Amino acid sequence: MLLEVRDLHVEFRTRDGVARAVNGVSCQVAAGETLAVLGESGSGKSVTAQAVLGILDMPPGRITAGEVFFRGRDLLKLKEDERRRVRGAELAMIFQDALSALNPVLSVGDQLGEMFVVHRGMSKRDARARAVELMERVRIPGAAQRVRDYPHQFSGGMRQRIMIAMALALEPALVIADEPTTALDVTVQAQVMDLLAELQRAYTMGLVLITHDLGVVADVADRIAVMYAGRIVESAPVHALYKAPAHPYTRGLLDSIPRLDRKGRELYAIKGLPPNLMRIPSGCAFHPRCPMARDVCRTDEPPLHAVDEDRGSACHFWRECLDG
Amino acid sequence: MGRYVVRRLLQMIPVFVGATLLIFLMVNVMGDPVAGLCGERQCDPATAARLKRDLGLDKPVWQQYLTYMGKVFTGDFGTAFNGQPVTELMATAFPVTVRLTIVAILFEVVVGIALGVLTGLRRGRPVDTGVLLATLVVISVPTFVTGLLLQLLLGVAWGWIRPSVSPAAAFGELIVPGLVLASVSLAYVTRLTRTSLAENRRSDYVRTAIAKGLPPHRVITRHLLRNSLIPVVTFIGADIGALMGGAIVTERIFNIHGVGYQLYQGIVRQNTQTVVGFVTVLVLVFLIANLLVDLLYAVLDPRIRYA
Amino acid sequence: MPEQHEPDGAVSAAGMGGAMDLAAAEAATLERTPGGPGGAGPRGRPRSLWSDAWRDLRRNPVFLGSALVILFLVLISLWPSLITSGNPLTCDLAKAQEGSQPGHPFGFDGQGCDVYTRTVYGARASVTVGVCATLGVAVLGSVLGGLAGFFGGLGDAVLSRLTDVFFAIPVVLGGLVLLSVVTSNTVWPVVGFMVLLGWPQISRIARGAVITARQNDYVQAARALGASPARILLRHIAPNAVAPVIVVATIALGTYIALEATLSYLGVGLKPPSVSWGIDISAASPYIRNAPHALLWPSGALAITVLAFIMLGDAVRDALDPRLR
Repeated sequence: MLLEVRDLHVEFRTRDGVARAVNGVSCQVAAGETLAVLGESGSGKSVTAQAVLGILDMPPGRITAGEVFFRGRDLLKLKEDERRRVRGAELAMIFQDALSALNPVLSVGDQLGEMFVVHRGMSKRDARARAVELMERVRIPGAAQRVRDYPHQFSGGMRQRIMIAMALALEPALVIADEPTTALDVTVQAQVMDLLAELQRAYTMGLVLITHDLGVVADVADRIAVMYAGRIVESAPVHALYKAPAHPYTRGLLDSIPRLDRKGRELYAIKGLPPNLMRIPSGCAFHPRCPMARDVCRTDEPPLHAVDEDRGSACHFWRECLDG
Repeated sequence: MGRYVVRRLLQMIPVFVGATLLIFLMVNVMGDPVAGLCGERQCDPATAARLKRDLGLDKPVWQQYLTYMGKVFTGDFGTAFNGQPVTELMATAFPVTVRLTIVAILFEVVVGIALGVLTGLRRGRPVDTGVLLATLVVISVPTFVTGLLLQLLLGVAWGWIRPSVSPAAAFGELIVPGLVLASVSLAYVTRLTRTSLAENRRSDYVRTAIAKGLPPHRVITRHLLRNSLIPVVTFIGADIGALMGGAIVTERIFNIHGVGYQLYQGIVRQNTQTVVGFVTVLVLVFLIANLLVDLLYAVLDPRIRYA
Repeated sequence: MPEQHEPDGAVSAAGMGGAMDLAAAEAATLERTPGGPGGAGPRGRPRSLWSDAWRDLRRNPVFLGSALVILFLVLISLWPSLITSGNPLTCDLAKAQEGSQPGHPFGFDGQGCDVYTRTVYGARASVTVGVCATLGVAVLGSVLGGLAGFFGGLGDAVLSRLTDVFFAIPVVLGGLVLLSVVTSNTVWPVVGFMVLLGWPQISRIARGAVITARQNDYVQAARALGASPARILLRHIAPNAVAPVIVVATIALGTYIALEATLSYLGVGLKPPSVSWGIDISAASPYIRNAPHALLWPSGALAITVLAFIMLGDAVRDALDPRLR
């Protein structure tokens, strides 16, 4: 297994109290596999990713428990310097907003080349040549000229391509993409997503795709993990999940996608709001919003029931849910 | 770029004219321009009238201003109270004040930025709180008090420096006066660096740099500092003009014969030409320093385009 | 002009001389804050901004400490006889430069005046100058800057150039030139000079804040609904522009007190027989060797006063700046 997260807990200590952002996340990603992590904002998906990569702001963040095995080593037990060498080279991240994630005062060539200078000890000149190659690889027109340009001189789509190029520079084994297309125009979104999927196949790398957009997921992901209040509530192969969700939250998400065959009917919306992470509801965190909730849901936290050999649901009544 | 500079130069003209005219009016309308011309005593009315006619002071003020500026642009700044041309006073005074300003700027750059980086990276720790408190105290104590106290301690009580600076005013003698002149700005540079650093510390591109697996020193110098110091550098650049204009207090405390000293003499002896001449040059220095800062800003931050 | 440059306050502040840089530049930070006081929401929100700030301030020891110091200063400048029975103008040359003794804890200055009494009475000049100058600057600056920012156009352009002109004149120098010919014994010439050279600082802040507030959606909405300009300005924009002006004005109050002392030290501010810390420090500086106490006590009082106002402004700014929460 390329990446295996076991029972990860992350909390943030703020002035108003402790926010429990991640509460026992376990998941796996195999080489060449795409795992989509789905959830509303505040569900803990980005925090999980940052904890895995080791770029969490600590303090206020704190990893209170868990293990993160990457290629057989527990990243959380590595020294910071060893961990740094993994970061970027073997395990890379693509951020949401390339305009703010790229350094505004360095040319894109410098920022791409830096990967080779730092991790591979290349000369600046060689690194610059590799930067141009990378820009060609992500199909930026006129790469040789544009390598000297600054991030703000590129369009949103081109900037995100540069972000992708930077993550893939050293051909990492695993890339975590945190909402890579959310900030882009719809037309550009598809292009960037296709490019990312294509490069993933070419390099046979693992990909964790963090998103709140179910539409993106269906095309590219192999598996889906749905997060709610810092936990994975359902984990399943993409087709199985689309066909019959085994958790009422997943069902709610799927039902709230507008569909042409239901045109004219009122669109479903999950009632209520995502929970406050400082006061997560008792029992199943989803129970105040769940149409199927019963007394047991208020008191007992459901474990991740094995629905199938590669499928799990953290719902007491997953069978009922599966049956519709 | 060229067009931008030309436009900025054109914009400077009304500010230059306005500022010098304001000073000219203050000196000529508020004061008595011939008062200083008869030595220590009052001019008798006949002499005063003759002097006024000779100097063109019976003409309307705007005409006087134009005549004066016309002369200034040919390099004639008039005569000081002791009969010396004002330009001669400038030739001796400006190098001294420039040296003093250089010392002050060095303090701002070296000490101010170093303290700012130290506190910015150790936010919330005792070092941070301590330095922050110290900057507030330095800002609160007026420069002339800081100067007098340092003179008292270092010059009088401990005898490390001579309490007053010799007319030659070599760099070595100007270290303490330079520190006094810089003190408030230095505290401000520290605070600005700290705030800027702390602000950028949480920025997305610093997170990216960490995610790229760059070693900490590279994240800090190449990504964090490179961005954080832009406002600091421009502040220090713009401070050049302010320091030269503000040197008057420091120069008086340490008896430095620079621009401030000459200006003070000019004011005390009511010598219009000295005052207006020196202020004109100071305004010009201020405006040029600001123009250079704007250009520098665009060099440091590629996002700024000359609009 | 690179537009992004203006808000940095660096250039704008420089002309006001060292002591004033802080206020302008710190306020610029405030003004720049996205969604900060300048960009606070409609009527409900400024109230919550202020009440949040007040909740923060009530627990802030820095704020409470400086507020206490200021309260004390105001009290003794109104009634100096509360804590001293002496007369600052009754001096005995025979006791000149003598140190601390019973009944005269701070000793005597070069003229044989009681340093304690003079230090207490000195507060009145400082507080009067500071408060009056700040009020004048705040009113003139925010009205001019606010109107210019709201209506824009030619008036705005002229005002902007005019502020540039004032910023180009070093403040201590301007004080020397203007006040050297004044013979009046009152504080008013000094106050007038500070208002004359200080208003551009506030006007720039107010203008920026108004422009930021004017661009808010709810202001656009009010305009679309046909509200009159006067109503928009008073009801929707002014409440949001007021926070940065108050912060800068508080910090500026401290710097005006320092400036009064500096001008008095240079001999052009207040003049004897007025009692002012600046006058006393200036008078004590020739005897610095023999009677340092005559210099240190008024200097200390001056420093604490300025510090109190700057820290108060600082605390208020922090409380109003949501980013620092």
